[in-house]
Amino acid sequence: MQSGTFHTTYAADMALRPYWPQRLRIALVLVAVLVFPWFADRYWLSLANTIAIAAIGAIGLNILVGYTGQISIGQGGFLAVGAFSAGLMAARLGMPMWITVPIASLFTAVVGAFFGLPSLRLKGLYLAIATLAAQEIITWVLTHGKLLGIGESLSIPRETSNIFGISMTAIGNPDFAFYWVTVGCLILTVIFVSNLFRSRAGRAFVAIRDQDIAAQVIGVDLFRYKLLAFATSSFFAGLAGALTAHYRGIISWERFTIDTSILYLAMIIIGGLGSVSGSIYGAAFITLLPALLSNLARLLSGAVPQINSYLPYMQQGAFGLAIILFLIFEPEGIVKMWRNVKDYFRLWPFSY
Amino acid sequence: MGNDQRRFGMLALLLALVLALAACGQQAPTAAPTPAPGGATGGGTTGAPPAPSGEPIKIGAIFDLTGATADVGTPYSKGQIAYIDWRNANGGVAGRPLQLISQDYAYEVPRAEELYTQFVTQDKVVVFSGWGTGDTEALKGRISEDQIPFISASYSAELADPAKTPFNFLVAPTYSDQMIIAMKWALEDWKAKGNTGAPKFAYLFNDSPFGRSPLADGTAFAQANGVETPLEVPSPRGATDLTPQLTQIRDFGANYVFLQNVSTPAALAIKNARSLGLDIQFVCLNWCANELLIKLAGADAEGVVGAIPFDPAAEGAKVALEFAKEKGIDYGGATSTFVQGWTAMSILVAGIEKTLADGKELTGENIRNTLQTMGEIDTGGVTQPIVFTETSHAGAKSLRLFQVKNGAWEAITDFISAQ
Repeated sequence: MQSGTFHTTYAADMALRPYWPQRLRIALVLVAVLVFPWFADRYWLSLANTIAIAAIGAIGLNILVGYTGQISIGQGGFLAVGAFSAGLMAARLGMPMWITVPIASLFTAVVGAFFGLPSLRLKGLYLAIATLAAQEIITWVLTHGKLLGIGESLSIPRETSNIFGISMTAIGNPDFAFYWVTVGCLILTVIFVSNLFRSRAGRAFVAIRDQDIAAQVIGVDLFRYKLLAFATSSFFAGLAGALTAHYRGIISWERFTIDTSILYLAMIIIGGLGSVSGSIYGAAFITLLPALLSNLARLLSGAVPQINSYLPYMQQGAFGLAIILFLIFEPEGIVKMWRNVKDYFRLWPFSY
Repeated sequence: MGNDQRRFGMLALLLALVLALAACGQQAPTAAPTPAPGGATGGGTTGAPPAPSGEPIKIGAIFDLTGATADVGTPYSKGQIAYIDWRNANGGVAGRPLQLISQDYAYEVPRAEELYTQFVTQDKVVVFSGWGTGDTEALKGRISEDQIPFISASYSAELADPAKTPFNFLVAPTYSDQMIIAMKWALEDWKAKGNTGAPKFAYLFNDSPFGRSPLADGTAFAQANGVETPLEVPSPRGATDLTPQLTQIRDFGANYVFLQNVSTPAALAIKNARSLGLDIQFVCLNWCANELLIKLAGADAEGVVGAIPFDPAAEGAKVALEFAKEKGIDYGGATSTFVQGWTAMSILVAGIEKTLADGKELTGENIRNTLQTMGEIDTGGVTQPIVFTETSHAGAKSLRLFQVKNGAWEAITDFISAQ
C-alpha cells in the first residue's frame, strides 16, 4: 500500500493511523461532525442520531459476524434487552441516563454471552438458527410483558435523560442534545473496536473466523473467546438499544423484531464485513436510502400526479433493487468502493 | 481494464447518490407546494365556487399502503385524500387551500418517526393525521412537545386522556369501549338464545400494540359480569393458516370470539373456523368490520357481528361517496373504511375552520383549544356528534352493532355506549 515510510520508533510503528493523510482525514471528519449540528435542522439531526445509534449496533454485530465469523440473527433481541433494561431502570427507579446506559450495556453483554453458549457446538447456519431462537425468546418475554410489568410500550421520563445531573433540555432541543451523546458514544465505540483488533483478544477472534481448528491448535481457547465475542458484540447492541430508549422516550417490542436483526445484517454486508468504517457506511446507507427514496417520491409526485398511487410500491422495490445492485457490483461492500476510489486517486495517472 | 470501467461505474453511482441526497435536503421544503391544490381539481359540480387562494394550510399524514395493515390503510388514505380534494374543489377553508403532505410508512414505527419529524420540522404542518397504535403511542411524547393536534386511526384508550396526551384526539369509541360494547351485546345475545350460565369469551387479535390495546379493559368487564377470564390468542402477522389458534379456542370452549384485527387475517380466521366446523359467534371490532371482510370471507362471513363506528349509509356519507364516484376513486369496495378516513379528516379540518372563523392564529395550541371548546361536531349521522372536552379526548362514546345478513352489513342494535 503505502511505501517509503520507515518507522524509527516503536510508538510510530504501533500507531493506529501512521500516515499523515489518514490523520488529516480524521481531523476533517471530526470537524465536520462538530460543525454539522449547528447548521442542520431537526430532521437531519434526527437522521444523524438514527445513523449513529444504528452504527453502534452494526459495529457490535460486525465484531461477531465480520471479525469472529459467528453468524447472528439475534441482534434485534439484544437491542431490545439493552433498551428495556435501561428503560425499566429509568422508568421504575428514576435512574439517570449516565447510569442506566452502562449498566444496560453490561447486562446485555451477560445475556449475549448466555445466548452465545451454543456457539461452542454449533457453526454456520446451525448457529444462525440458535441465535434466531434467542431473538424469538426475547421477543416472547417482551410481548408477554406482564412478566416484567411492561405494558404495550414503556415510557421513559424525560428528566432521566440527564448526564451527571445536567438536563438534556438545557442543551437544546432533544435531537440537538442527543446528537452529542450518540455521536460521542459512536466515537468511543470506534476507538475501542479499532484497537480491539490490534489486541490479543481481537487477533484470537480473527483466528477463529479464519479457521477455528487451526486457532485451537495454536492455543486459542475457543470457548472463552467465542463467548467473549458474543459478550462484546452484545455490549454494543445493548448500548445502541439503551440509547434508543432514552432518545425516543418510548419503546415497544415492535422496534426490535426479527426484521431489525436482518436489517442490521444487511447493514454490515452492504457496508463491509470485518470493517469498522464499513459498519458506519452501511448504517448510513440503510437509514438514508428509505428517506432518500421518499424524498424522491415526493418530488416525482409533484411532477407526475398519476404516478402517486404506485410510488409506495416502487419505493419498496427500489430499496430491494439498490441492495441487490450493491451486492452484485461490490460484494465487499461500500468500504471496498471507498478503497477503490482512494486507490484510483493515489495511483493516478497510472492504473496500478 | 474491465475493472477500471466498473470502478468508474460505482464511483458514478456513489456520486449520484450523494448528489441526489444533497439535492433532496434542499429541495424537499421548496418542492412541497407543487401539488397546487385549487387549480388541479377544477370547477366541481356546484356552480364553480371561487378557487382557493392564499397561503395553503398544511396537514401532515402518514398512511399504511404497503405494510401489515395496508388492506384497510389504503381505503382510509383514499378517504382522507378525497376529503382534502373535495374541500379544495369547494373553495378550501376560509378561502385558503388545504395541502396534504402524506407518505406511506409501511406500518413501521421508525419510518413513522422519521416522516413525522420531517413533516413537522421541515414542512411546518399544523395538524397531523396518523394511523397505527404502535406509532401513535411512540410519537405521543413528541406530539405533546411539538403541540400538533393529532387524529390517528388508533382508538387506543391510552390516547384519550388529555392530562397525558393533550394533543391526541380520538374520533371513534376507544378500542376498550368497543370491546365492552361488543361484550354487552354478547351477554344479551347469550340470554336471548335461551342459554343459562355464562358464555365463554376468547380474543383473537393482531400481535401488536393495536391488537392488545382493548384486552385488559375487556377482561376486567368480563370478569365483573361473571364471565371466566377470556382466552388471549395472538394471530401472528402474515399467517396463512390460523387452524392452530382456532383449535386452541375450540379446546377452551369459547362461545364468542372477539376479533381485534384488520380485515384480511380476520377473514382468514372466519374461513378457517368454518372449515373446522366450529360453532362460535365472531364479533369484529372496528378494523375488520367492513365490506372487505365480506368480500374476502364470502358466504362464511354470514352472521358475523361487527362494531362499525362510521356508518356509510348515513346522510353525511353521501357527499363522500358521490365525490368518489364522480372522480372515479377506487377504494376497493371498503365503503365504511373510506368514509371513516373522510370523516376523520373532516373533524380535523372542522377544528381548523373554527379556529380561523374565530379570528385566531393557526397554531397547534389554538386548534387544540378550539376542538376542546367548540362543542358538538356534526358528521351528518355517520357517527353520533363528536364532542371533545378538556377532560376527555374520546370524541365518540357509542356505536351501533351490525351483522352480516345476505352479504351486507345490517344494523342490529341502536347506539350502545360502554358506560
